[in-house]
Amino acid sequence: MKNRKKSLAEFFADRWALFFLVAEIVFFAIVSRGFLTPRGIQIIFFFGTSVFLLSVGETFVIITGGIDLSVGFVMGFASIVAAKLIVVFTESGMAPAAAILVGMVLTFIISLLPGLINGSLVAFLKVPPFIATFSMIGISHGVSELLIEGVPAKNLPHLANVIGNGHLFYYARGKGMSIFSRPELERGEHVLELLPNIVIITFILIAVFSFILKRTRYGQHTYAIGGNVDAALRSGINVKRHLVTVYMVSSFFAGAAGVIYMLQYVTGKADAGAALLLDGIAAVVIGGASLYGGKGTIWRTILGALIIATLETGLRIRGVPTFDKYILVGVILIGAVLVDQIIPERVEEE
Amino acid sequence: MKKIPVLVLVLLFAASLGLPLFAGGAQEAVGEEEELTFAFVPGIADPFYFTMERGIRQKADELGVNLIVSEYPKSWGPEAQVPILEATAARGGIDLIMIAPTSVDALIAPLKKLHEQGIEIITVDTFLGDGDYSKDTEYSFPLAYIGTDNHLGGVRVAEHLAEMLGEKGKLYINTTNPDVSSVSARVAGFKEGITNFPNMEVIGVDYNLDVQQKAMEQTLSALQKNPDIVGVFGTNVFSAQGVYQAVVNAGLTGAVKIASWDATETLINALKEGQVDLVLAQKPAEIGSMAVDWGYKFFTENADVPNKVIPGFEFFTKENVNDPDMQKFIYKK
Repeated sequence: MKNRKKSLAEFFADRWALFFLVAEIVFFAIVSRGFLTPRGIQIIFFFGTSVFLLSVGETFVIITGGIDLSVGFVMGFASIVAAKLIVVFTESGMAPAAAILVGMVLTFIISLLPGLINGSLVAFLKVPPFIATFSMIGISHGVSELLIEGVPAKNLPHLANVIGNGHLFYYARGKGMSIFSRPELERGEHVLELLPNIVIITFILIAVFSFILKRTRYGQHTYAIGGNVDAALRSGINVKRHLVTVYMVSSFFAGAAGVIYMLQYVTGKADAGAALLLDGIAAVVIGGASLYGGKGTIWRTILGALIIATLETGLRIRGVPTFDKYILVGVILIGAVLVDQIIPERVEEE
Repeated sequence: MKKIPVLVLVLLFAASLGLPLFAGGAQEAVGEEEELTFAFVPGIADPFYFTMERGIRQKADELGVNLIVSEYPKSWGPEAQVPILEATAARGGIDLIMIAPTSVDALIAPLKKLHEQGIEIITVDTFLGDGDYSKDTEYSFPLAYIGTDNHLGGVRVAEHLAEMLGEKGKLYINTTNPDVSSVSARVAGFKEGITNFPNMEVIGVDYNLDVQQKAMEQTLSALQKNPDIVGVFGTNVFSAQGVYQAVVNAGLTGAVKIASWDATETLINALKEGQVDLVLAQKPAEIGSMAVDWGYKFFTENADVPNKVIPGFEFFTKENVNDPDMQKFIYKK
């Protein structure tokens, strides 16, 4: 009897985020007209991409017991680098598609740099992650502003806007399915747009890194370092080098978020991700990762990010000012930590 | 256990596949109703758009049009406005969207998508591309642009300020964003207006990205670097308020003349106290009211809506600020 009670409490404590998300969806489906529609659901994913990306990168760092506060401004930095590169390439006569592709790839590479610095500071110079990445906020913000001289980067080719707002599949009655390009239609004819391009890019990246974390030695080492550094060292893991790469993973994801911002809004801005730091870290913690390290998974982080994105979208469709969102995210965050800390302990004590 | 989140994701995707019939049906049902529904998506939470909403509300009530006012974006930029636009449109049943696009290019794709679904678009205060919807371009789909002739306004501000300064001296401009149609035109108009005065010169332009604090800091440092600045032009609410704080803080009230744009209560009070010297008042309520009116005529009488509708503007100075006829041009919610 006692055992069953224990397992029931554990069952809920373990899955509260999931139940919360379902409850949220049901609630908004009732109160917000237009929420539980393909459009509504797509909006959750479409505008949630930055939070998904930032929080997945952050998951790696948090599993090692660190934290990366710089992701928001590295995202802004990357949006500017991408925008500037693409404009330069286009002006030098490159075709827009090629300029966008090359610019994106180069930005992905450049965005590893802040992570390399963060990781080196943490691993080799023993700077606390909080301070190292906190300083990186200032550095990446400053460099961004220098690059654009206070003016958002602009004049990107229209194609970027088309990609950023386009979908993989379009289906119209009588016209069949088309890929990437919108079918020629009369205005007002119903077209079903499936899988926004940027959501696909986001989830491909997430799937790849989820695999790495779950199934490879790299992932095992990440958990091992977060669980017990000494044990990891004794088992022969090159902890320092590994930590550096973990911070690079985080800034790579911030870079990806910046590139996607650039595609969505055809501009690069220093503060593009400034408001997303809370969401990015909150998603990881709501997903059940421990800030002490050793615990957390990508899919649970996605769950946390979905809780935030659903909340925001639901409130918006309802027309409620999203100032309320910040309060609610803060409350859910505290709730998440309490559920994770208090409930399992009490169960063990019984 | 780990599969559950994946399952939810799959279900969400499945739902987004399976529900369209449902949604399509709902939209058609709404379309059959006689009543028109217009939506207003403002650019940022400020007195200018609050005043515009008032004009829109009055006209919508008068004509019996349903009105949805979206959330006011907290900051100026597509990343704040586009999610609000999409969420508002997701409610369905909207015939016309009146929007102040926060970027000349980033809003093209999202608005075009809505237009193709059959929703009409009127841009108010700011526009897409170069604002010329009469040519066939990727941004020429809106019914109309309704807003102040910002370029002409800029020229007139320059003329007024030149007159106040005896047609000589150095000038500085503080504005918001380089990719926003309205303020860019004000800056261009102002610079053009000043070229008519050979003894006057614009020595710099700063972009505060719609942050008043930044406008103040930039103006302070400009005044420090160039102590011979005699006049400053702040191109919108936040710019002008930041500029006037900087001039007051630097103790240069009166020595540096300030021309500002937008008749907020703060700026009008500053004018009364002699901290600001010239205020251009746009007519946001009129812009809003005209947008509803043209939209209504388009749907009910199939009227030919002009591509560009330009309401005028007024100037507040120390001399006329207490004039009873002028009070209606002050921005109020």
